[in-house]
Amino acid sequence: MRIETIRAVGARPAHIRHDDLISAKGVSVVMASQLVLQNIDLSIPKGSFVSLIGPSGCGKSTLLKVLAGLVNPTSGSVSIAGLPPVEAARKRMIGLVFQDANLLPWKNAVDNASMLLGIADKSLSRADLRARGQEMLELVGLGDSAHKRPHELSGGMRQRVAIARALALDPAVLLMDEPFGALDAITRDSMGQSLLEIWQRTGKTIVLVTHSIDEAIHLSRHVHVMGIKPGRITGSLDIGLPYPRDLSLTEEPQFVRLLVQLRTMLRASHQPGGAS
Amino acid sequence: MSDQPVTNLSESRLASSWGAVTGSWLPAAILLLATIVVWEAVVRIFAISAFIIPAPSEIAQSLVAQWGTLMQATLVTAGEILFGFLVSIVVGIAIALVIVRFDWLGRALYPLVVLFQNVPKVALAPIFILWFGYGLAPKIGLILVIAFFPVTLSMLAGMQSVDRSLLSLMNSVGASPTQILFRIRVPHSLPNLMAGTKIAATLSVIGAIVGEFAGASDGLGYVIQFASTQLDTALVFAALLLVSVLGIAFYYAAEVLERIIVPWAPKFSHA
Repeated sequence: MRIETIRAVGARPAHIRHDDLISAKGVSVVMASQLVLQNIDLSIPKGSFVSLIGPSGCGKSTLLKVLAGLVNPTSGSVSIAGLPPVEAARKRMIGLVFQDANLLPWKNAVDNASMLLGIADKSLSRADLRARGQEMLELVGLGDSAHKRPHELSGGMRQRVAIARALALDPAVLLMDEPFGALDAITRDSMGQSLLEIWQRTGKTIVLVTHSIDEAIHLSRHVHVMGIKPGRITGSLDIGLPYPRDLSLTEEPQFVRLLVQLRTMLRASHQPGGAS
Repeated sequence: MSDQPVTNLSESRLASSWGAVTGSWLPAAILLLATIVVWEAVVRIFAISAFIIPAPSEIAQSLVAQWGTLMQATLVTAGEILFGFLVSIVVGIAIALVIVRFDWLGRALYPLVVLFQNVPKVALAPIFILWFGYGLAPKIGLILVIAFFPVTLSMLAGMQSVDRSLLSLMNSVGASPTQILFRIRVPHSLPNLMAGTKIAATLSVIGAIVGEFAGASDGLGYVIQFASTQLDTALVFAALLLVSVLGIAFYYAAEVLERIIVPWAPKFSHA
């Protein structure tokens, strides 16, 4: 077992590793004359599972939107596999999942799962799209609910369809903004477990925004802690726990130790401050 | 009692659903019947003249006696309503689409549409008669100016209430504005649109009658005006009854349409 390390971002070598899929350099975002994000440096290696955690208003969702190309940084640069995020998104390299599944109520699960792919790739026939949608639903464990409409699905199932919809693009990166935030605790746990399985089967790079410390430790390989006023990365933590992980992990002493560590870091991040 | 909560729950649910059926229809039917009986009694006891308030029995007699004329008039008015209603829907949808799709045109058009909404459209009836004559055209025009607005407004509200994250998803894969309009905004707006259509159905009836008041030689509005000049109040009420039946028929037709077009929309129970 590796030893967990706490590293201050400033202490990290400035060079970007060769296998980094996502890199952000000096990203700042000003919105309505408020400094939402200050000087974010982030490098996320291909195939890793990274969580962004922090208090409300720390800009973690904004950072995710910057990575997705939905918000332009005021200064600094972001690249996804060497491309600007908007271009990467056009090339179907980015899959997005939000807190709300946002399924189309007039379409069934399989058509919802293939909806974005159909927009992105107009050459695919209806049958191709259906087949791809079905394949993705099976991946997320909803193979036999293909013909159900969203109102016939539970909240967790709807979110699974949303994940299937993102995966149908076969993106390199899955960017998830509190995807389980609206679900009850039990559903949340099983969704997390499913996400781990999907990650291990597909080898996608996953960036997860969450405010659940347990979820961050349970799922990710690496956690970035963010602070408020202005939004910035105040610390990072390697979760040295081996995969595959399951929920029994939460009872192990290493888990509890990481929990305490992360909680301490989060408490410190609540203090407004300037430079890190 | 409390040791069998599940049974109790399902029983009370059954009871309440039965209660909902009788609870919604039965009291209304009883009240209607009671009103008719009291109306009849009051007219007879106080010997109120039939040209002021006819008794329900006199209205029924008039309905039977003039059945042929009334049915012919009903058919004419129903035709106007149907035609005007359909034109209102088409024009209402077209205006909403233009406003949403072409931003510049929308910003020019929307305030004018709202401004026009404040013109008392009933007052346009004589002008329409002047322009279009006594035929079908002025009625269709009047129904259109009265009924298109709820269609436009409800569809706009539906198209503009699409969740921003969904739009983000669409934008991230490079969806065009036209794709977003027809794949997301339009279907998303259908439940709202159908609600607006039901309002338009009711307004279409008003538009047709006002149009006939202003100048017509046929239709229920004409019958009402003609009968009132003859002091045949029973016939006025008989025609009024048929106008109401038309209104209800068009409203429910719109509701049936709603269930066919948007079966996935959230249902609201009728209290």
